[in-house]
Amino acid sequence: MLKVKVYADRMSQPSRAVLIFCKVNGIEFDEIKVEISKRQQLSPEFADINPFKKLPAIVDGRFKLFESHAILIYLASAFPGIPDHWYPADLSRRARVHSVLDWHHLNLRHGAAPFVLHTVLAPVLGLPLNPQAAAEAEKILISSLSKLENIWLKGNGRYLLGGLRPSIADLSLVCEIMQLELLDEKDQERILGPHKKVQQWIESTRDATRPHFDEVHKVLYKVKEIIRAKKSNQGDGVMQSRTKTPLASKM
Amino acid sequence: MGKLKVYADRMSQPSRAVIIFCRISGIDFEEIKVDISKGQHLSPDFTEVNPLQKVPAIVHGSLKLSESHAILVYLASAFTGIADHWYPTELSRRSKINSVMDWHHSNLRNGAVNYAINTTLAPALGRQLNPKAASEAEKVLLSSLKTLEDIWLDGDGGFLCNGIQPSLADLSMVCELMQLEVLDERDRNRILSPYKKVLQWIENTRTATNPHFEEVHNILYKAKKKFEQQRARTAETGTSPSNKTGGYSKI
Repeated sequence: MLKVKVYADRMSQPSRAVLIFCKVNGIEFDEIKVEISKRQQLSPEFADINPFKKLPAIVDGRFKLFESHAILIYLASAFPGIPDHWYPADLSRRARVHSVLDWHHLNLRHGAAPFVLHTVLAPVLGLPLNPQAAAEAEKILISSLSKLENIWLKGNGRYLLGGLRPSIADLSLVCEIMQLELLDEKDQERILGPHKKVQQWIESTRDATRPHFDEVHKVLYKVKEIIRAKKSNQGDGVMQSRTKTPLASKM
Repeated sequence: MGKLKVYADRMSQPSRAVIIFCRISGIDFEEIKVDISKGQHLSPDFTEVNPLQKVPAIVHGSLKLSESHAILVYLASAFTGIADHWYPTELSRRSKINSVMDWHHSNLRNGAVNYAINTTLAPALGRQLNPKAASEAEKVLLSSLKTLEDIWLDGDGGFLCNGIQPSLADLSMVCELMQLEVLDERDRNRILSPYKKVLQWIENTRTATNPHFEEVHNILYKAKKKFEQQRARTAETGTSPSNKTGGYSKI
């Protein structure tokens, strides 16, 4: 069988989760970069891979798949030797992992992605800031973080659902939260500060997936520097230059 | 293991999907009504079952589970004698079903539920209709319907991913679309009629799951009548609708 192809842009959280999962588990794969900032996901070649024109997507032999959770489940099931904790075979534990993964879509993701877009990324993407959309997203984000802290991270385990080892849900959700790195420090503190368990869980997941976690997140730290530099330039009264930052519409 | 308990309000689409699935699969279960319009989902008793305070939820032995897709997947795996087409064992086929179910959250569900609330249901929930939110939701809904028509229902199968029999994804998504029944008839036709494959697929799913489908949807047809009468009264007298209709926060 040919190596699995992973179409990804590391600026997209779900892309990062899939890449980290492959690396941590020694899955042989080719990473094919699809740069959202260059609109490569809209190309006819990529539309042939994923008609939804979204990242990540995989091709394994003749099989094409998209949606990161479906991809993670597929990889955990299709490749031999993946440790059970990622996607437990036990039905009840597996069901609970599904439950967090499903919850994620209209909660954490629904809050974090638009909040970051409307507070820091929009100007960099040449879009106007939308404070009202930011405020609405913030509500969803904060309520999601509080549910993570009080419900999903309840118990003594270091991971979701009282787990002692990370599952694909931990990886997906932590990659989502990592985009909050792009916020300025005050906002970050205000939003994440009250959620101590969430902070500890991010560290645990990072530790469990090192060095791949940090390597795959490098691009995020670079963009953070660019945003910061831009801000201090504006502070100095310097004209805002047209950006070349590689920013992703799927952040 | 004790009998499966299903906590549900039939006015909630995901509740309906779970109940229909149990019935059609001959799963022995007890339906426990959690009336959202009476705030029963917020009660301490139900919070014990599902700390997220949402329906549907199930209790099966020591497992408490929320999120309808996770529940459906669990039921299809935990009970014997469930027809394979609901959640196919073959990995690539199963992965496609997972992929549609993931797509659903931020697309069809996000569009349909917010459109129905902001055009029709809000007054019954003690909220104001919000035309701006309705028009945003309409965009998401129409784009989701187009994606269903052109991509997910591509092929001659009659069900999603070119299936010739329904899967969990068909059931979940058709139940979601059924809530458009409460809209004004003209509006519903305007939205759905361009999508011939979608209309045919709703019929296919209904036929494949009758008589349970119709029986579980009865409550929705009653609500539809109520809204029709209300609209007629409003048209006659010019008064705005009262707040007396049973309201449902998770519709």
